[in-house]
Amino acid sequence: MIVQYLNHYYMKKFIQELRLFGLMILFMIMAGSEGYSQSTREVTGTITDASGESLPGVNILVKGTAIGTVSNIDGSYRVSVPQDRNTLVFSFIGFTSREMEVGNNSTINVELNSTLSDMEEVVVIGFGEQSRELLTTSVSKMDERVLENIPYSNAASAMQGTLAGVRVQTTSGQPGAAPRVIVRGGTSINNPDGASPLYVVDGVIRPDINNIAPGDIETFQVLKDAASTSIYGARGSNGVVVITTKSAKAGFVSATYSGSYSLSQPGSLYDLASARDYLTFARRAMIVQDIFPDASFRNTNPIGFGTGNDLTNNTAYTTQYLSPENEYKLNEGWESMPDPLDPSKTLIFQDTDWQDVLFRTAAIQNHHVSVSGGTEKAKVSASLGFLDNQGIAITTGYKRYTMNVNGDFKVSDNFSFYGIVNYANSKDNQVNSITNIFARAITLPPTTKYKFEDGTLAPGQALSEGNPEYVLRNRVAENRSENLTFSVGSRWQITPELSFDPQLSIYYTTDDSYVFQPAVLNGPNNLVDNRSASASISKWRQTQVDAVFHYVKTIGDGHNVNATAGYAYFGRNISSLNASGQGASTDLIPTLNASAEATSVSSSISDQVIHGYFGRVNYDYNYKYLVSINARYDGASNLGANYQWGFFPGVALGWNMHKEDFWEALPQNVFSKLKVRTSYGINGNIGNLGDFSAQGAYGVGSRYGGYAAIQNTLIPNPELKWERSKTLNFGADLTLFNRLGIVLDVYRRVTDNLITNLALPPSTGFGSTLTNLGSLENKGVELEVNYNVLPSASDFQWNLAANFATLQNKILKLPENGADKNRVGGYYVWDGALGDYAWKGGLQEGGSLGEYYQHRELGVYPTDQDAENAPSDAYKRYPDVAFGGDFIWDDIDNNDVIDEKDKVYVGTEFPTLTGGFTNTFSYKNLMLSLRMDYTVGHTIYNYARAFMEGQWKLNMNLTQNLVDNGWQQQGDVAELPRYDWESTRAQLNVHPNRTGQGYYESGDYLAIRELSLSYNLPKSLLKPVHLENVRLSLTGNNLYYFTKYQGLNPEFGGRDYGRYPIPRNFIFGLNITF
Amino acid sequence: MKNLSIAFILSLFLFGSCSDLLDVSPTSVITTESFWKTEGDAEGALIGMYVNLRSISNSTLYYLGEARADVVALGTVGDGGWAKYYTNRLQPDDAGPSWQSLFTLVNSANLILKYVPGIDFASEDRKNTILAEAYAMRAFTYFVMTRTWGDLPLRMDPTESENPELTQIERTAQSEIFQFIKGDIDKALQLFPDNRYAENKMFWSKPATSALKGEVYLWTAKQMGGGNADIQTALTVLEDITNTNVALLDNFKDVFDYGNKGNDEILMAVRFAELESAGNNYFNAMYLIGSAIPTNISDEAKETIGAIGGGSNNIAVPTAYVKSLYTNDDQRKDASFYEIFTIGENEALTYYTTIVTKGSGTVIGGSRNFIDDIILYRYADVLLMIAEAKNALGEDPSMEINQIRMRAYGDQYSEYAFSPGTVEENDEIILEERLRELAFEGKRWWDLVRFDKAIEMLPTLSERDNPEQKILWPISIGVLSLENKIIQNPGY
Repeated sequence: MIVQYLNHYYMKKFIQELRLFGLMILFMIMAGSEGYSQSTREVTGTITDASGESLPGVNILVKGTAIGTVSNIDGSYRVSVPQDRNTLVFSFIGFTSREMEVGNNSTINVELNSTLSDMEEVVVIGFGEQSRELLTTSVSKMDERVLENIPYSNAASAMQGTLAGVRVQTTSGQPGAAPRVIVRGGTSINNPDGASPLYVVDGVIRPDINNIAPGDIETFQVLKDAASTSIYGARGSNGVVVITTKSAKAGFVSATYSGSYSLSQPGSLYDLASARDYLTFARRAMIVQDIFPDASFRNTNPIGFGTGNDLTNNTAYTTQYLSPENEYKLNEGWESMPDPLDPSKTLIFQDTDWQDVLFRTAAIQNHHVSVSGGTEKAKVSASLGFLDNQGIAITTGYKRYTMNVNGDFKVSDNFSFYGIVNYANSKDNQVNSITNIFARAITLPPTTKYKFEDGTLAPGQALSEGNPEYVLRNRVAENRSENLTFSVGSRWQITPELSFDPQLSIYYTTDDSYVFQPAVLNGPNNLVDNRSASASISKWRQTQVDAVFHYVKTIGDGHNVNATAGYAYFGRNISSLNASGQGASTDLIPTLNASAEATSVSSSISDQVIHGYFGRVNYDYNYKYLVSINARYDGASNLGANYQWGFFPGVALGWNMHKEDFWEALPQNVFSKLKVRTSYGINGNIGNLGDFSAQGAYGVGSRYGGYAAIQNTLIPNPELKWERSKTLNFGADLTLFNRLGIVLDVYRRVTDNLITNLALPPSTGFGSTLTNLGSLENKGVELEVNYNVLPSASDFQWNLAANFATLQNKILKLPENGADKNRVGGYYVWDGALGDYAWKGGLQEGGSLGEYYQHRELGVYPTDQDAENAPSDAYKRYPDVAFGGDFIWDDIDNNDVIDEKDKVYVGTEFPTLTGGFTNTFSYKNLMLSLRMDYTVGHTIYNYARAFMEGQWKLNMNLTQNLVDNGWQQQGDVAELPRYDWESTRAQLNVHPNRTGQGYYESGDYLAIRELSLSYNLPKSLLKPVHLENVRLSLTGNNLYYFTKYQGLNPEFGGRDYGRYPIPRNFIFGLNITF
Repeated sequence: MKNLSIAFILSLFLFGSCSDLLDVSPTSVITTESFWKTEGDAEGALIGMYVNLRSISNSTLYYLGEARADVVALGTVGDGGWAKYYTNRLQPDDAGPSWQSLFTLVNSANLILKYVPGIDFASEDRKNTILAEAYAMRAFTYFVMTRTWGDLPLRMDPTESENPELTQIERTAQSEIFQFIKGDIDKALQLFPDNRYAENKMFWSKPATSALKGEVYLWTAKQMGGGNADIQTALTVLEDITNTNVALLDNFKDVFDYGNKGNDEILMAVRFAELESAGNNYFNAMYLIGSAIPTNISDEAKETIGAIGGGSNNIAVPTAYVKSLYTNDDQRKDASFYEIFTIGENEALTYYTTIVTKGSGTVIGGSRNFIDDIILYRYADVLLMIAEAKNALGEDPSMEINQIRMRAYGDQYSEYAFSPGTVEENDEIILEERLRELAFEGKRWWDLVRFDKAIEMLPTLSERDNPEQKILWPISIGVLSLENKIIQNPGY
């Protein structure tokens, strides 16, 4: 019965998919059989730039047809123009397009002018492209030069600080790791950092752009407002990143090579205490105040600062008293010092800098070759890329091979089809645990043994707090990812005005990984030899069909219409298989076939379908008055049964004021161009909604006494519907002095029905449930400026590009739950303005996201007498006991008791201002560019530093900061409390239950992202060796962060448990065009 | 031809509706709609309920039942967050376990009680047993919670929507909670088809539910004014247990032996197993971390400690008071804890620390796994409850107390034989014997409260202002921030 049902189900699906495929093929066959048969005339000519150099690769199109060609290497072209056509359009990236009347001429020579401002550029929008001049929505386009000098292992990093309103944060320095990209703050209340944009590469939707080689990218833009993204309907509300890759150019065969070699180093490291300071502080810390249990016995234990160690393999540390047996170690680099507790005895120890052990100078190689060429009838391009980034932490690394083939065939004058194949294969090695390696291992006591006497690596304290070299080298792990995209499509010019562009694509990703733990020492005396192993494979299969009609027509006198309509289908299947085992009898085989016992096996399959109909009409009158109307009707399979379909419209208006007669009255050399525009639209979002979450879930996989369990894990919500976000955008594009371009946007986005996890009362037995929760407002101002400081005639050129974006969020509405402001969560604290206690933070109407509340330190008691009148402290084990060296906590409510009601606002997780600026200087063949970016307003809870300074785990190093600024003796006026043992925990000076405001650090930073010097070899030198162009560059990347943050990575807020530091790269690059 | 094909394409768009494309069925998840149809669903959900029980048995039950008492104190590695319990310094910002995981367990029982009656079973007995287990589980969980927090939000139906009118509820008075608990226990006892124990003692059975009933009635007799009537109920039901297939093992150590799980002394234990459980249970905090093992200890000590691992630590160690209760004649001493001494110059011994051996788990692949079963009821506990009930009714509790002591002292029993005194004296002895017998098993705090001795016995409590208000736990600020109809307990 069930089998029959399933068969029926799959059959139905199969037939549906077959229908879509069949449709596609039909289109192509039918279209291919069509053709014009008209008489034509030949036109030839040469295309040059302003300096008279010939321009190869220029597109020449007979206006209103699909007939066209591309100029040859010497800039010449030949095209057949139908008798009823009279206009040729010449276009080339980076140059102003020109239209020329043919008339009776058989030779038309054209001079194209290079684009000086952004105003003339062509912008790729959803299912089409548009000139910047006619654009009415908010789209940021990346200057491709950003991709030239740095071998990004993830192209999304190139957006950092270059596009206004696009927040890019490097969350990990792990090579290949995807940065976090958030457009205009995202539309999520409880996971604002998870609101990633939609990525569309050559029309294919992808979950990320991890495997795109930057060398293959031709254009890169971000659609930001709802009117521009509503054509993507369902998934547009967090912005859309649209990328096109380099396609084939006809006319001549060209080849380019670009490559680079880089040296990579950690940008910043922790400043930790030396072994000497560590021993002094740690040994003294065991002598605690009378009230606490005696801790002095630890000074003789076999621990970091204890003298219970010896030279055998049984102890993890070097610290011991000097004796005739170990005296010789002083000749092998060990150090000695008088015991700070008893100067008559001498301690000997070895001082190891664990950051030196963990980090290295890594090499990065990047090579990219591309070839392109063909005839007017058939053109092909292919590229091959290779990236090898070793990673600044030992054993980590990333390797990637990419391959692209792109072919375009013209079957008849009005029909062409193309195929694109992108393949990428990447491999990376990552550390087992970011926290264990980047926070725990590097804070091992400096006296920990690096090697045993027999020369083997010592394990450190335990696997979770081990010698990083031992831990990382005694582990086998690898992740591989393969990525394959096939697209086929055609362009059928049905009539001169109407064309049909169907595209079918398959996007396929396979991720597989394995991890093996060979027999390993978990601390010196504990050999763990269960040899756990695991392997997993996960596949993402995606089928996408887009069928789009385009209609372009000029009606009457200057009424230009450009319309698009189509259908889009997106089907996605994820399958995964994981298994783990243990009990292998050998370390030689890291895969599961060696395991004696399977410990778990699991697989899963999950599907999602989204499809819909869309349309757009762009209208302008003489390029002066601009209107754009967009809409999409979209359905998604994972929403509640009653709410699967949604309608998402958008409208935008623009006015090119410089096209008006009155503009002529203005001084043209000052006010060159001005467009004002406004847009309003509605987007959908299904956030990170699981494929079947709306239907509730009973989870499987747990066992009890050998029996399989089923547990209710999610409450169903059949009413779950689209998240709708409405954006109102005002913008202006202004050009001054013909050299200064300004793009300004102001927006307000309100997102309703947020699909969000609503925290439930704990007594329901559930932590949260998925619901359409309330509404959130994001608003901000974005400014992009592009200024050519010197006139174009000057040999010396200085281009200044700057952008900045503000962002504020506010919760407008939450579901009724009976609480004041429908608050969920938060802190009950003293409100001075109110003169009473009140609930603050959490989620509440009128509030904002990610607020931190904590206690405030006012300083440190200099002496025990000063501490005598300290308020009673509810956190402490002995509330009324305080000493010199304890923090003075701010008693906000002045009730002489420090408790949780004394917390105050100490910052917000999310930044309020982001941006960057780029200066590019060029003189003849020489170019220097300096790119900087900044992020302001985010607070980081520096957990890693608190962990060290608060001694949250005995037996770890401390910061130099505490050595320099910690209270040490009666009378010290210090910034930080004393470093000690038992009383630290009892007094909660720096403790996980109460980490004061001092550890909630500002993450504000200004980074020198890129400083690059490049040189184009003179043509005179290249001609004899038949090279077109040779470019050399020297670049520094992530050179310096101006920041007060004391951790390793200031780029994002939240809790810093230890982060893979951001590498600083020095890059030599070479670029050759043959 | 051209116009024809345009018409064809357009017609496909307009009429080739693809709405049914959105009918995507789940493959690897069970949705709410498709569940609760078959006997197998009920069995899976029943096991799921025990997985939830295991989650709270990991450490929550120990924190609630014993950590605040005089059993453990500061270890060598620091307090690991335990100090708030044994120093009785709980406060809303650091209030110990939230009730969420306990209510998750209640919810899994509520789902069974709602849906299983509508499912057809091949065996009606099996269906009744499943329902009985769910009633027993719900009663047990509410009993844990009401002893901890007093008045409770009473949830008799599963949570199936987010509707705040249903999810935000006020607390129900403790007396009503106890009525509800007793009702559930009676339903369970009626539904169990026979007096047999469950497989491996890892599920609720009629005798285990009787032990629960006995403990509940002892509590309501002493703490809720139930008086002799409730004591009598307790005694009757507890004495019924003595007729079941249960006995004290000769060797005390064998009760806790990893290889002897589900033995004859056990009535009900929460099953922990390799690869199954959510990690180590609380006994890991009472062991040692590798770096805290001194080098200068005896070989015997090294051997006793054996392998470490699995997050083992020395956070909570037995108090001097607990250790003082055992003589060397008591076989329970070595089976409960082990003291470690360092050897100095001239063989001088210095006390270092103590590890708990009662739940030291097993060593797998060189690493210690703290996966002993957590015993909810065993026969010794039942015998001492019988003694407690008899004594409260003025009957002689000697037989039960001496059964315990005979096993504990073996040949030396005659020196330790119990002879009755006044009711108060007997109570004191029973309370102390319970500690000797059940130390580290998560019972002591509740015993102290039931006997009204918590304030008297615990200086950390008596020195607080209004100590009687500190018996109930605070409700955490995290819970209060999400439950706007819940009011904090007095005293916090």
